Amino acid sequence: MALEQLCDVVQRCQAIKDEGFSPEDYDLFFTAGRTCLEQGNSAQVLSILVDEKNKNIVRCMGWNLLGPLVQILLKKEDKNLPHCHAILSHLLEICSPKELLVGLLEQVEEADTGSIAETVTLLLKPLQTVLLRLGMKKASSVGMALSTLLSQVARLPVPVTKEQEEDDVFGLCHCCTALLQFVKPFVEEVKEGVKDNNRISKDNELRVELLKFCMKSLSKPLLEVQLKDPDTLLKSPLRDFATEILIILSSIGESLPDLLSRNVLKRREVPGFLEEEVRYPKESLACLSHLLFVDHIAVDIFPAVLSPIFVLQCNMEYIELLLSRTEESHLLKGLVLYEKSLIRVEDNSLPVDLLELKTFFSVPQNLVKVMTLCPDQTLRTKGLKVFQLSIDKFNTEAKYKFFKGMLKTSHHAGVEGYIIKNIKNQIDFSLKPCNGNDWFLGKHLLPLLRLVLCLPHGPETDLLQNLDRIMESLNLLRYMLIRDKEWENETGIWTELYKIEDNYLKPLRTGLNMSKAHYEAELKSAKENKKISSKDSKASVCTVTVDNEKLPNMTPEMQIQVLQSAVFTFDLIESVLTRIEEIIETKERPLS
Amino acid sequence: FMMAADPARAWSDEQLKGEEIPKRELITFIQENAAHSFLSEHKLLGNIKNVAKTAKKEQLIEAYNQLFESKRFKGTEVDAVTEQVQAAKISDAPKEIKTEPVDEGPPKFTKTILKKGDKTNFPKKGDTVSCWYTGTLEDGTVFDSNIPATAKKKKQTKPLSFKVGLGRVIRGWDEGLLVMSKGETARLEIEAEWAYGRKGVPDSKIPPNAKLIFEVELVSID
Repeated sequence: MALEQLCDVVQRCQAIKDEGFSPEDYDLFFTAGRTCLEQGNSAQVLSILVDEKNKNIVRCMGWNLLGPLVQILLKKEDKNLPHCHAILSHLLEICSPKELLVGLLEQVEEADTGSIAETVTLLLKPLQTVLLRLGMKKASSVGMALSTLLSQVARLPVPVTKEQEEDDVFGLCHCCTALLQFVKPFVEEVKEGVKDNNRISKDNELRVELLKFCMKSLSKPLLEVQLKDPDTLLKSPLRDFATEILIILSSIGESLPDLLSRNVLKRREVPGFLEEEVRYPKESLACLSHLLFVDHIAVDIFPAVLSPIFVLQCNMEYIELLLSRTEESHLLKGLVLYEKSLIRVEDNSLPVDLLELKTFFSVPQNLVKVMTLCPDQTLRTKGLKVFQLSIDKFNTEAKYKFFKGMLKTSHHAGVEGYIIKNIKNQIDFSLKPCNGNDWFLGKHLLPLLRLVLCLPHGPETDLLQNLDRIMESLNLLRYMLIRDKEWENETGIWTELYKIEDNYLKPLRTGLNMSKAHYEAELKSAKENKKISSKDSKASVCTVTVDNEKLPNMTPEMQIQVLQSAVFTFDLIESVLTRIEEIIETKERPLS
Repeated sequence: FMMAADPARAWSDEQLKGEEIPKRELITFIQENAAHSFLSEHKLLGNIKNVAKTAKKEQLIEAYNQLFESKRFKGTEVDAVTEQVQAAKISDAPKEIKTEPVDEGPPKFTKTILKKGDKTNFPKKGDTVSCWYTGTLEDGTVFDSNIPATAKKKKQTKPLSFKVGLGRVIRGWDEGLLVMSKGETARLEIEAEWAYGRKGVPDSKIPPNAKLIFEVELVSID
């Protein structure tokens, strides 16, 4: 009988002096104790453990029973619960804190996905009790506990809808709330030190562990969470968690504005520079920024006096990070953060020297990737909207430099077309009274136009692929020739015209004629083939396979459609080109 | 080149070696008067603050003396600062972007002293200032404060610290704090143009075209 075995080993050990118990003693105690508990004899086990005579035995061996004890407590069978809880409390009081810590954290680590929430909820208070017993030496243990707990909690599925957050089926919200209670005494301890005129140094161990905890939380789960605003969900545990994390950061002496501007203002010569990077992971700061500026979390502890341009500059680092991710939730966060940072800035106010900063070029590049490659259509659309918004905020010189850079680097006809349309709008704006400037009129405009009015590959340029770009550039040229009178020539287009004709219009006309002829011939033969093959099915010349699935062969009808639409496209280009040629001819004809 | 008279020695050896002349003044003089190549050889190019950090006083005194010996003043050599050199300077280094426009015109804020400061220590651009403040709209609504007594939900116990004059805060603050002395408490009334302008701060208490009123106590200057 297990109970007898337990009594036996305990009685024997009572006689052993100076806690010189053998490994067998430990084993017997553990096996017997465990079996007793599992068999439901918790009341008897309790009375053995609380017996004063057994104090030393319990202190050395008791913590080993944590495993089986926790498993029973998790099963929540009413009968044994009170006794098991009492056993746990007793062990927490008597056994060595370090050993208890190990035992408890083991239970947390080993919890399977289904029981993480329950295990964490059950063990948070015991863990806190144990840690507080460690006194001045608690810092590294607190760190270890927080790290283990957070790693497990981060595995829980994140609620997406407000109903999911309310139901909290997997327990994430509950765990987050409980974690806040858990850290409270440690935060208070550091807070006191910080208040007391910085009695606590930046490197104080406990402070650093709490900092790590906050940073880790910001990354997981907070970066994955889409917070609901108070109108949608009045009581949100996740919003409260986010708020409290920011408040904790502030309480332990981390100024939120300083955190935000870390990447912009850091000096490279700081000793232990690598350590700094580890302490303040960029991803966590990106989440922090999003919480502040998009979710408006903890706004009342964030100063309202920062300059909007400076805030934008700081946020660009985080926007860059988020927009270089593939997860759509991160892309969306990046886009919205960018949007919110931009709308605070006046139109036409961002100076050109901002473009010397790496992020002010890399972010648009990332944005272009989203606009052109992201599978999700809402993200592509939003990307474009934010792209235009960012252009609107640059001042005139910055717009000029930006357009030039984009034309040189984007290699995407759609993007180029969009930029060219913007250039046209800027020229239009500049031609209006009192809007004159050096950039979209006069000497700087022509170098920019040369980038616009050119064919990337001369007459061999694929006109269909470059359609967007070509159409916009022709529209631009046509607009300028009509709007800028020859005798005014404010844009300089008329003096440049002969060069444009040679370098652009003539090769374009050549290419256009060639392409049209080619496609019209193809179209004719396709139509003839169709007549012939309508009688017997013709084997196709080639097949296309995508992802191991053969795409349906192009029927003759489809082929004709494609060719026809190509011909229409050329007609479109030709109509604008012809119009331009007419305008030029009319102006060049001497008045008689 | 225009042949101007050579600059004269402003300081004697004793003055230089003594405590009178701060490094920065010495650097300023040398930067203003020496040829580019001279500065480059003596590693005296660039932002005065940075030079002051890296160059020892002895080095500066030596450079100063050498300058007068060699007479390599500005305009005596062809300063070959080519486009390539300029281009090479553009790097990833964090930059202080000057966002103040070059407009002239009356300042768009007023300052009323509520409590006098020491009237001697005024912050310079780039100094770190710390202050307690409360910000209200014209109608009295408090939109921001870092004073524990006033703000109920405040968890902060430190004054707000930042480098003044560098465009990190609204212009009214940058300009206003530069004319406050240590210990002073002042009321700054800042017009929208030097605050949040036509946009205000969307999603916050600050509406478009809002004039902002701050009570600011300048606690320290570093």
